[in-house]
Amino acid sequence: MKRTVPIILAIGSGAILAIVFFLNPDFKLLFGVTSDNIKQEVLKWVTIVSGFTLILGVVSIFRVNMKAFQQKKTDRWYKMVTIVSLLAMAIPGVFPGPATEIGKTLYTYLPDWIGVYGSQNGIIVSWLFDHLDAPMMATMFATLAFYIASAAYRAFRARTLEATLLLAAALIVMFWRVPMGEAVLNAMSPDLPEWINTILMRGVNASVQRGIIIGAALGAASMSLRIILGIERIYLGKT
Amino acid sequence: MSENLRPMGFWEKVSKLDRRWIYSAVAITVIIPLIWRIDFPVGITPEAKQLFDAVEALPDGSTVMLTFDYYASALPETEPASRAALHHLFRKNCKVVTMTTIPLGGPTISERVTRDMAKLYDKVYGIDYVNLGYKANYVAVLSGMGSSIEDIYPADNSGTKLADLPIIQNIKNYDDIDFIFVVADNAIVDYWISIVNAQYNTPVGASVTAVSAPKYYPLVTSGQMTGLLGGMKGAAEYEIMVGKEAAAVKGMSVQSLVHFLIILMVIMGNVGYFVSRKKKPQAA
Repeated sequence: MKRTVPIILAIGSGAILAIVFFLNPDFKLLFGVTSDNIKQEVLKWVTIVSGFTLILGVVSIFRVNMKAFQQKKTDRWYKMVTIVSLLAMAIPGVFPGPATEIGKTLYTYLPDWIGVYGSQNGIIVSWLFDHLDAPMMATMFATLAFYIASAAYRAFRARTLEATLLLAAALIVMFWRVPMGEAVLNAMSPDLPEWINTILMRGVNASVQRGIIIGAALGAASMSLRIILGIERIYLGKT
Repeated sequence: MSENLRPMGFWEKVSKLDRRWIYSAVAITVIIPLIWRIDFPVGITPEAKQLFDAVEALPDGSTVMLTFDYYASALPETEPASRAALHHLFRKNCKVVTMTTIPLGGPTISERVTRDMAKLYDKVYGIDYVNLGYKANYVAVLSGMGSSIEDIYPADNSGTKLADLPIIQNIKNYDDIDFIFVVADNAIVDYWISIVNAQYNTPVGASVTAVSAPKYYPLVTSGQMTGLLGGMKGAAEYEIMVGKEAAAVKGMSVQSLVHFLIILMVIMGNVGYFVSRKKKPQAA
């Protein structure tokens, strides 16, 4: 039962969306219901189920971190910081804003300052994002510049022909991609920047990327087909 | 003299340079152009020009969907592109529909940036622009909006019913959207192309991070994508074309010098590697 029901749901949802894709949106199936009606209904379900997966993720993070905190591990206070941060962002975010139907009724009974909840502008979530999350993410990303410089210096070696080609292409693109390099290239020959764009980016790069995209798309299509046909069951996990 | 006691030559020392020197060099290279601005002429790539021309060619008052599909970590590369795009769109009196597929910060960034820009052009929320906000599962969202935007987004980011907003009265689905301007730091552009452009024929142009820009060149050359801005340089190109030079153009001097530093380091590292390998005695 734990395997059969999910497999039936996956096969059904996949098959419905695959079939309606090939039908005219106005094609009437049963009782005047069009293929587009069915597609829209399934997609609405998908967004609702996706919402629940987010809740599942929140519950999972909460449980794992709370368990680690209770076990008094050495890094337990980091776990607590995670839990507090999670609740601090989540609770104000899910509280209905004043513009919502529930909010309109709710805020006739609640003090004005509660209006800082919800998901509109100038609210707690925005403040937390602008003043905590954004600077922290920016810091993490900015730190990468130092690591990339150090890693490029130590690891980017022309040891083989393939590595040499990669190295040469990377250096040319890095040089061409910034105004200072572009100015130098222009001084050498005004056609050089355009030539790099045409030959390297729109030529060699585009053809290789095209191969990767087609390969990945074929892989995704075959995996989807395996799921729809019930052959692929890894997504069910251990049941 | 044994191998271990042999004094290190210059290039060997270079090849074993302490990482703190590298970090210091990067820090100095970033700080100097921030204090003393060094300007270089920014060349316009054909992909950026194509995107600008496509937006420029839209009739005044057209409806454009602008997406904010990026996290805060990519703000320096992406936000300038969003702002430059809004300058262009509001100047042309386009109706702007914004949305995001990013739950963390996406709605906040789109709300802040769009309202900031709308103030400059006296645009009114609900009439000239609307922020749809975030909805889970981007594949379902992008696909569902092809039939009905209101089905997928019954309310805007603030919770106001879409039916109550005048701007939405004439926008039912992608048929009513003249252009989609995607600003993203992830692979969502693939879905905008494969779901929206391929199935609904709505033109899609994109601004992406520099690291992901090469991936989208085949889509530009095939005509599936109408123009491409790559990273901060792409944003700087758009700022110049719009005539509103701002954060991206300012960032070009920093990016130029850091790129040069990394190129120099890679060359030095390789020279050091080959020289020290040559000096290393071959095993008997």
